[in-house]
Amino acid sequence: MMEIDRADGRTPNQLRPLACSRNILHRAHGSASWSQGDTKVLAAVYGPKAGTKKNENPEKACIEVIWKPKTGQIGKLEKEYEMILKRTLQSICILTINPNTTTSVIVQVVHDDGALLTCAINAACAALVDAGIPIKHLAVAICCCLAEDGYVILDPTKLEEQQKMKGFAFLVFPNSIHSVLPEGSLLVEGEPVEHGIITSVTHGLMSVEEYLKCLERGHAASAKLSDFLRRSLKLQLPSDSSKAK
Amino acid sequence: MDARLTNAWRMTVNEKKFIETALASDLRIDGRNPLEYRKITIKFGREDGSSEVQLGQTHVMGFVTSQLVQPYRDRPNEGSLSIFTEFSPMADPSFEPGRPGESAVELGRIIDRGLRESRAVDTESLCVLAGKLVWAIRIDLHILDNGGNLVDAANIAALVALLTFRRPECTLGGEDGQQVMVHPPEVKEPLPLIVHHLPIAVTFAFFNSEHTMVVDPTHNEEAVMGGRMTVTANTNGDICAIQKAGGEGVTQSDIMRCLRLASRNAESITKKINDAVETYNTERALRKIKRHSASVAVDVSISGGDVREPENKFFVHKGISELSRDQMERLNLVSEEKCTSQSSDINGGLSSSEQGRTSCQEGNATNFLGGPSSWDPYSKGVDSDSLKVSLASLGVKHAGISAPDKHKRGEQKSTQAMEDKVPEDAKPATSATDTSRTGPQMSGEKTLKDAVKPKDKRRKRASSSMNAS
Repeated sequence: MMEIDRADGRTPNQLRPLACSRNILHRAHGSASWSQGDTKVLAAVYGPKAGTKKNENPEKACIEVIWKPKTGQIGKLEKEYEMILKRTLQSICILTINPNTTTSVIVQVVHDDGALLTCAINAACAALVDAGIPIKHLAVAICCCLAEDGYVILDPTKLEEQQKMKGFAFLVFPNSIHSVLPEGSLLVEGEPVEHGIITSVTHGLMSVEEYLKCLERGHAASAKLSDFLRRSLKLQLPSDSSKAK
Repeated sequence: MDARLTNAWRMTVNEKKFIETALASDLRIDGRNPLEYRKITIKFGREDGSSEVQLGQTHVMGFVTSQLVQPYRDRPNEGSLSIFTEFSPMADPSFEPGRPGESAVELGRIIDRGLRESRAVDTESLCVLAGKLVWAIRIDLHILDNGGNLVDAANIAALVALLTFRRPECTLGGEDGQQVMVHPPEVKEPLPLIVHHLPIAVTFAFFNSEHTMVVDPTHNEEAVMGGRMTVTANTNGDICAIQKAGGEGVTQSDIMRCLRLASRNAESITKKINDAVETYNTERALRKIKRHSASVAVDVSISGGDVREPENKFFVHKGISELSRDQMERLNLVSEEKCTSQSSDINGGLSSSEQGRTSCQEGNATNFLGGPSSWDPYSKGVDSDSLKVSLASLGVKHAGISAPDKHKRGEQKSTQAMEDKVPEDAKPATSATDTSRTGPQMSGEKTLKDAVKPKDKRRKRASSSMNAS
């Protein structure tokens, strides 16, 4: 088994230190900040507002994502991130509860040191929880990077992304489920829900086996991530009750 | 679009009356005096030139970046300064994404007038090649939370970001002196901007009831006020800009009173900004010392010589030129000739901390005199893993030590940290005969308890995930 030398001394399966804090902003209905190592993203949610946009289906709730980069104009890359985030969040929210409403999620990049999209997805999920938007389950995102020799490393930094990369994959898995219901009732077509994949975005060239290897590693890491997410979302007691404005 | 208008927040008549009645008896709803400022918190980001300012509930982030561009034709030897304000929709439900509204443009213009037209930032020093290439400084202000008085908070964020920003150094070369080479921060120390004075914006709100005026209005007070005025002043007693756009009429005596108050507030806010920037610069210098202290540990072994002090001086200069981690690993094998050649193209660096650093290095040298008995300089050498761990744990130690106000205290603490480092470096060097990662793990557990837990968790995660897959 080849050992890859990572610049900051991590093993290939090791994630950077995670930090998550909720309820940071006062005007927003829900807010969260998520940082993986040096990458930090701030997300805010404004709860259901009346009306949907023109092209959206008025029989369901709609989610609107606004991506704010650190500097510079909004370009195609930001629009792509908005689209990916929107579709991911739409699949975890229960859209039938508040039809004909728009929930806005605003993502602000504070610092980008690799794995930016995954950080943003995690932050957006935490912000949705903070706002109290009804969701089916949480989503955890992980970035797997494929080096030239076929070795898979998790959670690359910006330097690693630029240097080592044959390809990389952003994967979003549903949260692991702790349930009081008996085991069998949560199976979807014979497999537990948490084995599914919500979103997968790949860049670069990779073979099918390499992609499956990424999936496997990502899935193992997602279990640890969802533990962390659960713990950090539980800790804070609701001290600030009125957020009417 | 109609749906959006119905979502706009309106204050109720009861709340308005309550605020006005309270102000008539000099009471504000958050308990402040009418002339009192909210608490200002200044934080810094990872990079140079990024700031985060909190003024009560108002939250603003500022980022400064630079780029080489062609100058304007009528000012061929001046750089340019441009300010971009983003009223992010996360700050207020009424802020729309897309084109900035009129209040965003007004805010940008007030800050621009204060900084550029009062010549606070020296633009002539930004010229590289007259008529061809100048530095264009771009300030991005992101409003994250609208708790009232965005102008003042954004102004402070812009100033702090400008003071902590470092632009890359560039030299002219080539045959005709027309080639510009921009040096990356690892090679040459980036330079700070020249800021002559700090223009501080102070906002006043006027209410319809007689002569009531408050400083630093909150969001609720802004919804009730009849007019506002922003005065940009500095500690020299200059008034850089005044902005009163419409609203209620105010007597001349009230305006003069506002100007005096603004000067006083400007002094206290300038002091806070300077203190915050001092601590940031101290921390930055400490970060650079930490990096090359580990390099000293390795290099002394290889040169192995009797004369340690002059070599330490070379490494001090190397630290000033800010080596990257990769370069540090290569230092394991560096020869003396390379040291001298690198020391020749050194930048002046931080003059105030240079002396402190040499004293710190001498302290290090004396530590090594006791060291070699347990550390064989001719063994395999410190492998890069233990180097990284020692760096990481030293970094955590510095995070544990709160940023000192005096620079000297910081130096003493870093020497203590290095004293602890030396015996720990020795242990993994002798025990690590194979390149397994258990060596650095053991040293990590022994040195710092607070660094251990997150690392252990990650390693447990990694090992269990490896078992799982």
